[in-house]
Amino acid sequence: MAVAKYVCTRTKRKEDRRLITGLSTYVDDLKLPGLLHVAIIRSIHAYAKIKSIDISSAQKLPGVVAVVTGEEIKDKLGSVPCAAQIPDLKVPRHPVLAIGKVRYVGEAIAAVVAGDRYVAQDAADLVEVNYEPLAAVVDPLKALEPGSTVIHEECKDNIAFVTKTAAGDVAKAFREAEAPIIKQRMINQRLIPMAMETRGVVAQYQPGDKMLTLWSSSQIPHLLRTLVAGIVGLPENHVRVIVPEVGGGFGSKLNVYREEGLLAYLAMKLGRPVKWIEGRRENFLATIHGRDQIDDVEIAVKKDGTVLGLKLKVVADLGAYHQLLTPLIPGLTGAMIVGCYRFPNVSIETYGVFTNKMATDAYRGAGRPEATYLIERVMDLVAAELKLDPVAVRQNNFVPMNAFPYTTPTGLTYDSANYQNCFQKALEMANYKGLREEQKKLRQQGKYMGIGISTYVEICAMGPSSGMPAGGWESATVRIEPTGKVTIYTGSSPHGQGQETTFSQIAADELGVPFDDIIVQHGDTSTVQYGIGTFGSRATAVGGTAVYMALQQLKEKVGKLAAHLLKTDSSAFVLEGGRVTLKGDSSKSMSFFDLAQAAYHAKSLPPLPPKMEPGLSATAFFEPSNYTFPFGAHIAVVEVDPETGEINFKRYVGVDDCGRIINPLTVHGQIHGGIAQGLGQALLEEAVYDENGQLITGTLMDYAIPKSVDIPWFELDKTETPSPVNPLGVKGVGEAGTIGSTPAIVNAVVDALAPFGVRHLDMPLKSERVWQAIKNAKPRA
Amino acid sequence: MKIEGSHLFKSPGEKVWNCLIDPQVLARCIPGCEKLELAGEDSYNAVLKIGIGALKGTFISHIRLQDKQPLSQYKLVVEGEGGLGFLKGEGLIRLAASGAETNVSYSGEVQIGGLIASVGQRMLQGFAKQTISRFFSSLARETEVASESALTSNN
Repeated sequence: MAVAKYVCTRTKRKEDRRLITGLSTYVDDLKLPGLLHVAIIRSIHAYAKIKSIDISSAQKLPGVVAVVTGEEIKDKLGSVPCAAQIPDLKVPRHPVLAIGKVRYVGEAIAAVVAGDRYVAQDAADLVEVNYEPLAAVVDPLKALEPGSTVIHEECKDNIAFVTKTAAGDVAKAFREAEAPIIKQRMINQRLIPMAMETRGVVAQYQPGDKMLTLWSSSQIPHLLRTLVAGIVGLPENHVRVIVPEVGGGFGSKLNVYREEGLLAYLAMKLGRPVKWIEGRRENFLATIHGRDQIDDVEIAVKKDGTVLGLKLKVVADLGAYHQLLTPLIPGLTGAMIVGCYRFPNVSIETYGVFTNKMATDAYRGAGRPEATYLIERVMDLVAAELKLDPVAVRQNNFVPMNAFPYTTPTGLTYDSANYQNCFQKALEMANYKGLREEQKKLRQQGKYMGIGISTYVEICAMGPSSGMPAGGWESATVRIEPTGKVTIYTGSSPHGQGQETTFSQIAADELGVPFDDIIVQHGDTSTVQYGIGTFGSRATAVGGTAVYMALQQLKEKVGKLAAHLLKTDSSAFVLEGGRVTLKGDSSKSMSFFDLAQAAYHAKSLPPLPPKMEPGLSATAFFEPSNYTFPFGAHIAVVEVDPETGEINFKRYVGVDDCGRIINPLTVHGQIHGGIAQGLGQALLEEAVYDENGQLITGTLMDYAIPKSVDIPWFELDKTETPSPVNPLGVKGVGEAGTIGSTPAIVNAVVDALAPFGVRHLDMPLKSERVWQAIKNAKPRA
Repeated sequence: MKIEGSHLFKSPGEKVWNCLIDPQVLARCIPGCEKLELAGEDSYNAVLKIGIGALKGTFISHIRLQDKQPLSQYKLVVEGEGGLGFLKGEGLIRLAASGAETNVSYSGEVQIGGLIASVGQRMLQGFAKQTISRFFSSLARETEVASESALTSNN
């Protein structure tokens, strides 16, 4: 590689101009001749028998083209797919429209198709569903009990799966504990992902060649194509999925939804294009939720705070049906529960439970924020119990830097890290000692300042195919066009992460061509070779590596062709400034344009070398040998107002290590957004179902997401420990901020409340909850 | 959601009781009641138009008066369903007359579902309070009219 001109620089995102000037095309911007609009009738009960559905008034409304119910499609469409493979996993049928019963509020029952969206909605209001309400199963702990109402008749109980794993000698560790066993129940509450763009689907069917085109706001175009083909029974090569601009996913669009199967069916049935755009209220009810675990942790320690062993019991509220990855998410919590600490004795029990709610699935971090929250709260509980400094407890338990690659008792191999160094940097930035002194002084004045630490490690670059339901590789094609311009086709499906920019940076440096001469194409299964998609911080680490590998193949051909055209035996060329120049002989040089022309015209004098194919294009599939494990240290400093329970940030420091950085600007963007979402879980967000299974936080007036006023100033820095797993050395940063911030903030608030004897508080730390804790507390002498 | 309260009528117990079980009076007094038809003994089909904040819709409802103890108390059961979702309520209405005045107290539980639950929950308590207060003030006027007409007919 020539001297990096773009990689590692704060290159402005090429996506942003179209995004901030409103020139992007989202699903709802599509206009097709003869387009019909779909409105969906959703259950108002959490659990009920459908006694009858009267669609006659809806059908009579002028402008209505069709009304369909579960009865019509029950033998025609397959189940909404779940990709999880867990021994003895119960996978109940998940119909596109409810058949016989509804199992959560918002479950799709029927759909109206009309010439315009308003008529469709009016007609939907005329559909009369006659329910026989049943007692809903809302509390996952009660759902586990024998004798609980069973949500799915084909299953004998509500337990979708149970997994039990153990490593080391947990019983011995607990026998040898030098301090009382620390026990704590913690709630990772249910969250709503809340992408700014709700879901949307457009489907068009051409009966002549039996081709279905599906536009969807998705993170996984190729997997969606394969799985929707399965639902509607078309051969996969008769389905084309196009993912246009996507306004955020956070995992909620890493899925296949009922509406994707339904719209495909309606387009085929009616022979006209159909569109459905999810309303915000529908988004609350019928797009996957995240988290929702009740976690019981027990921990055995030595007097110096060394952790000997840990027991974890996870009860995961899965909701009523499995979405694509629902049952797999809680497993990531167990896998990452040891954090960046070296204790060898762990036992994990995980219960996946059906309840009458929307399914949970991957939401930014997906199982890892839960794990990090637990282990980082545990570190503070250990420090509080033994009256040690939480900094010392962490340092004492870190996996040492000479231990990498380090295999955890949960079976993962951490690729590379230096936890001490990263933590030290954060402590110095925050002036930790000074903060503790300030805290002491403020407490004397009756002011409650708290310092919260989280040292996280997470699992990214998903992943080796052995650990992924649909394969974990990624693909790229790089094509130098006849004019020397470069097109990259990636199997990743960026939707805010900025890979059009970062992949262009990589290619601009590798090929020595101008950044603006490169475009990145993604999201259309007819133009892009097969791909897996964007999630689990894999787009750069896996997808970017595929781009890098394709570029290496291409450079080899460029070298051979240039040697031939410049009449030299060497193929050592420097690619720079839009020219291909022989190393050490600047007289042997040609422009990229001329080289590309020669490759495509295939009639240059002299003609192409023997056995060389015309064209300049290469495709690579990268299969990673392992995951990557980014890490970091976040420190939150808050002050709690004891009169109101309000929490105010004084400082927020983060040092993140995501391996080698391609673009500091996009990395910071990811960390900023991540911290904001982690703060949301810590302080504000909570999806609440009442005792009858009604979602009572169903609008943005009731479900609080962080706004700019809630966000502190971020003081950020980095350490850069390259990953050995891929040639770029990158690890991934999509979830880091979300994972690091939640425990740092909660630890800070609990630390602030230490004088009141508060040991733990469950999220979200709304001022009411904090105020109650202060009010109920007996001040410690 | 629990609902509880009371209202003091400046009318004797019998007048208030008669108004409280008279479907025509009830139809006039229940806010948003567009229709109230007798469906059986002490059982009515009603169409209620309800607006909570930005939500407006019609509930096809069934209303029953149960466990009637004349001049003293009855149980009111309401079940409704419509585009906004459903509501189910049950409450005990008790009369305590003392001379020319009657105190009516009520206590019950309301369950809602669907759109009004996810959107309207926050506003529901206020809405219920307001609706009940409108109901009782209308009813108070009715009882006064009833008292006057009763006086007139006595003369």
